[in-house]
Amino acid sequence: MPVRQLRNDPDEFVAEALRGLQGAHPELVHCQPDPAYVLRAQPARRAKVALVSGGGSGHEPLHTGFVGAGMLDAAVPGAVFASPTAFQIAAAIRASDRGHGVLLIVKNYTGDVLNFSIAAELVADEGIEVGTVLVDDDLATEPAAEGGPGRRGTAAVVAVEKICGAAAERGATLAELVALGRRVVDSARTMALALAACTQPGQDRPSFDLPADEVEFGVGIHGEHGVGRRPFALARELVPQLAEPVVRALGLASGASVLAIVNGLGATHALELSVVHQELSDYLNGLGVEVARSLVGPYVTALDMRGCSVTLLRADAELIELWDAPVRTPALTW
Amino acid sequence: MDSVTAVAAREWISRFAEVIDQRAAELTELDRQAGDGDYGTNLRSALRRTRTNLAAGTEESAQAAFTAIANAFLHTGGTSGPLFGVWFREFAKAAHTELTATVLADAAQSAVDIVRRLGKAEVGHKTMVDAMVPAATALRASAEAGADAPAALAAAAAAAHAGADGTADQLALRGRASYVGEHARGVVDPGARTVALFFDAARPDVLVGA
Repeated sequence: MPVRQLRNDPDEFVAEALRGLQGAHPELVHCQPDPAYVLRAQPARRAKVALVSGGGSGHEPLHTGFVGAGMLDAAVPGAVFASPTAFQIAAAIRASDRGHGVLLIVKNYTGDVLNFSIAAELVADEGIEVGTVLVDDDLATEPAAEGGPGRRGTAAVVAVEKICGAAAERGATLAELVALGRRVVDSARTMALALAACTQPGQDRPSFDLPADEVEFGVGIHGEHGVGRRPFALARELVPQLAEPVVRALGLASGASVLAIVNGLGATHALELSVVHQELSDYLNGLGVEVARSLVGPYVTALDMRGCSVTLLRADAELIELWDAPVRTPALTW
Repeated sequence: MDSVTAVAAREWISRFAEVIDQRAAELTELDRQAGDGDYGTNLRSALRRTRTNLAAGTEESAQAAFTAIANAFLHTGGTSGPLFGVWFREFAKAAHTELTATVLADAAQSAVDIVRRLGKAEVGHKTMVDAMVPAATALRASAEAGADAPAALAAAAAAAHAGADGTADQLALRGRASYVGEHARGVVDPGARTVALFFDAARPDVLVGA
């Protein structure tokens, strides 16, 4: 028996969800059916560099929920956990280009990197200027040696989209946005754990089984195994295990200031995420690290995975100011 | 016939689609042993779209025929589909002029260069590149020896098959097969075989008959 989900035909899952997104937010987004991409309902008021992101579906509200003023100009959804096609991405780039160039924000996965690169080649031949920011924040996939695919892109992509989106609204050039995006990626790292794996549409069981007394540590956002299992424990014991490697990787010391993203992986209750955030703040305060801003909620999900990720971004006045700038999208508004 | 005409290009691509239909099960079996087994299905869906694009096209030119197949592959997911898309696209770009052996050699060279760059694959990695490189080399050598387009394409097909055969002994460093390591030893890379079948489909009777 396939796991029960509120859907119709699995092949129409993403298309129907896109129609639902537009129906719920007609003033914010416009969904193109084929090739599928999501545009702002109203283009930016001033001509500016356009921001385009995308990737497999199943991570909602990423990326389609972040289309709107102050963030993305277009998002390109693939099938569940599969890259969008180069053809789709190129169509979204053409539709959002206002003549000032297009910034592509790409999570580091082989299919996404390839299809975004090909789309960039296609539109470059048509005279559209394109720059790319590759997001690779996941510490669990820190390469041991040269030559592999490198770290995966996970929740730091939200910070890249928000911060670059704000800078683009203020008139930053494509080159400035590429540099800014890379600075955000270099300043951010993420670590995740799962209490239960996710189930793909039409499958009858989760992608892996976990004993009741263990958690999967270092998971990604596609239901893949993590890097190891650890004993299940209270939040006050588990959260420092997530935060400690991130603090170490970023070299955060007393006096540092961070933006913290406590991200639910899809089926984690808001009460749990609030507790995780509290434990994270306590841990960081104990180290003398200030939590300057926080984002807590399910923003980069892995279908119905139970668990969370912790992202820290080394903050400075410029990044905080851009983070605070107004944003109005289906999933993020202030 | 010294070059590939519009009708011949269309025949060539249609013949390629037929051959892949006939051999989809065999290609899928190679992928099942060395990857995840969806290769034949993805390839057939790209070729179905190619047929639709060819039928919908109003313009009768070699460029239109190659654009039809390039766009169809760029419309598919995964990694090998879009790489074939950019590969065919270089032939489409070259086809604004007459497709002589020299033009085909230039196109095959720029096509394999872009696949190597975007796919980050080189000869010996057990991928489509292992057939694309020898095919481009054979086209160049034929063109320089003064061969006509059909003879150059026949030489490319032979070189591509030899390159594909050679992938059986390789350990995959890129692509799907790199995840299964030694399990793929002894298995020909289906992408490399597909490249060879593409050049095979340009056999003289298809070109001349057109």
